[in-house]
Amino acid sequence: MSDYDQKKYERNEKLIKLLFLWPSLAILLFLIAYPFVMLIYYSFFNFSFLRQANTKFIGLTNYLLILTDTYTWERFIFTFKYVGLSVSIQFILGILIAWLLQRNFRGKDAVFTVVLMPMMFCPIVVGLLWRYMFNTEWGIINYFLHNLLGFARVEWLGMEQNSLWATIIANTWMWTPFMVLLASAAFSSVPKYLYEAASVDRASGWFKFTNITLPLSAPILVLALIFRLMDEMKQFDLIYTLTGGGPGDATQTVSFTLYKTAFQYFYTGEGSAWAFILLIIIIGLSSILIRLLNYLSER
Amino acid sequence: MTGTMGKNATVKNIVFTIIVVVLLIYTIFPLYWLFLASLKTRVDLFTIPPKFSFEPTLEHFKKIFIYTTLETGEQQQTRYLFWLLNSVLTAGIGTLLAVTLGTMAGYINSRMEYRGKKDFMFFVLSTRMLPPVAVIVPLYIVFAKLHLADTRLGMILLYTMIGLGLATWIMKGFFDNIPKEVEEAAFVNGYTRFQVFIKVLVPMVKGGIAATAGFCFIFAWNEFTFASIIATRYAMTLPPRIVAFMGTSGFEWGVVAASGFILIIPIFVLFIFIRKYILMGMTFGVLGRK
Repeated sequence: MSDYDQKKYERNEKLIKLLFLWPSLAILLFLIAYPFVMLIYYSFFNFSFLRQANTKFIGLTNYLLILTDTYTWERFIFTFKYVGLSVSIQFILGILIAWLLQRNFRGKDAVFTVVLMPMMFCPIVVGLLWRYMFNTEWGIINYFLHNLLGFARVEWLGMEQNSLWATIIANTWMWTPFMVLLASAAFSSVPKYLYEAASVDRASGWFKFTNITLPLSAPILVLALIFRLMDEMKQFDLIYTLTGGGPGDATQTVSFTLYKTAFQYFYTGEGSAWAFILLIIIIGLSSILIRLLNYLSER
Repeated sequence: MTGTMGKNATVKNIVFTIIVVVLLIYTIFPLYWLFLASLKTRVDLFTIPPKFSFEPTLEHFKKIFIYTTLETGEQQQTRYLFWLLNSVLTAGIGTLLAVTLGTMAGYINSRMEYRGKKDFMFFVLSTRMLPPVAVIVPLYIVFAKLHLADTRLGMILLYTMIGLGLATWIMKGFFDNIPKEVEEAAFVNGYTRFQVFIKVLVPMVKGGIAATAGFCFIFAWNEFTFASIIATRYAMTLPPRIVAFMGTSGFEWGVVAASGFILIIPIFVLFIFIRKYILMGMTFGVLGRK
């Protein structure tokens, strides 16, 4: 290649990088980076979108207001309960279902297609769907429990403790499929010859599951767990239509409280501080995810 | 001996079949119940015991599209078709942009070196981690200042952003799978890098692009948080509209069910097409690459 050609080639390479990366970068800078910086900025002001005239710098007051309020801790405790219980149940159910569906049977593909579907639906619709079924008087769930099985009517969405379980049940219905999907992938990545070797030694099914399947699929299962944790922390639309945060504020997650603070009460500054706190939690969780992603994709 | 073994296997098969059937019912029943609700008259909706067979009515579906004014009894079209169009346009164009830009960025990140490459990929990934409720506070203010609030253009930008990270990561994975020799052969034949990209590589990852588009569209189509704040009137999409149906009319369950059902029909259809790629789509392309 001549000197001229070499130069032209290099210029070309540079140009293509610029043209191919900058549009994406511009969108991300505008829609992610800039808001992120502004968010931190607003969190130090008693800023309200509706009353912009009296905006004053108030330092860490927003953060102190949030962190010293017992209400905040109630919201965090609910969020951790909701996320912790949902994810654990999804995890166990998902592994169980994936394990059951491991064997070959007729219509396996069709069964999987149906079983995996709920996670793709609009969370808004899933929320209202369960709200419809959870109704105390005429809901189908209470019909089975009360009229058919003779239990007392459960006020699913009207009592604090019950509404926690109502949200968890709806959430589990929607997101267990994700666990099934990843657990199935994990299980099928275990080399077959290991099972054959274990069968020669007359190992029991349970032994094979705990000593071969689980350890070898652990990385993917952990990945699934972190994906779920991260998404559950953000979740808000399913609860929005299912309980509307109620009864009272009983089922308000941190995301929900943030939404209300910023867009119902229009405490924009305080909402920003909420957002920053939530982000710190999620960034903490996801930095673990990134490490794991890198580890898995380099394997 | 063999007799009892055979019996055992049959019992196992029966138990297995029962479990699969229960699992299918558990998954399908809520959707089926929603579908029935959309076809029940107001009286049938709230009966005890709940009705499984009844005289179906299309009144709720009709009500979504046409409303009758109370004073004159005149029939008018609702703005539903307009909201539907908003949903289709914002999700559709957003997907198109996200997939185009994501394919381009994915290619560069798969094949070329530059400073800050890891940072770029992380930055792109952050679209998956950030809770929409967190970014939306400042975004709302910026959008209001730039007159992007409540416009289709604003929503398209947001939905491009939502799909972009996914598209970049997945497409990088697809390009990684293509051996370097393919490109080198094309270079020898005198193709420029751009020509290689358009004429050789993109056709090789067509399937991946289509699947990625399917995921981007579903995520944008289902999106509620941004839409509920940014698209309050002129750019309103269907998900926030359903919430409005729930609020204003004191829970007209038939209409809510019917509009919810309309919203998930496209998902059914798309899901069948992207089923093969679902593992890849849900894990940012880390698992299940084909």
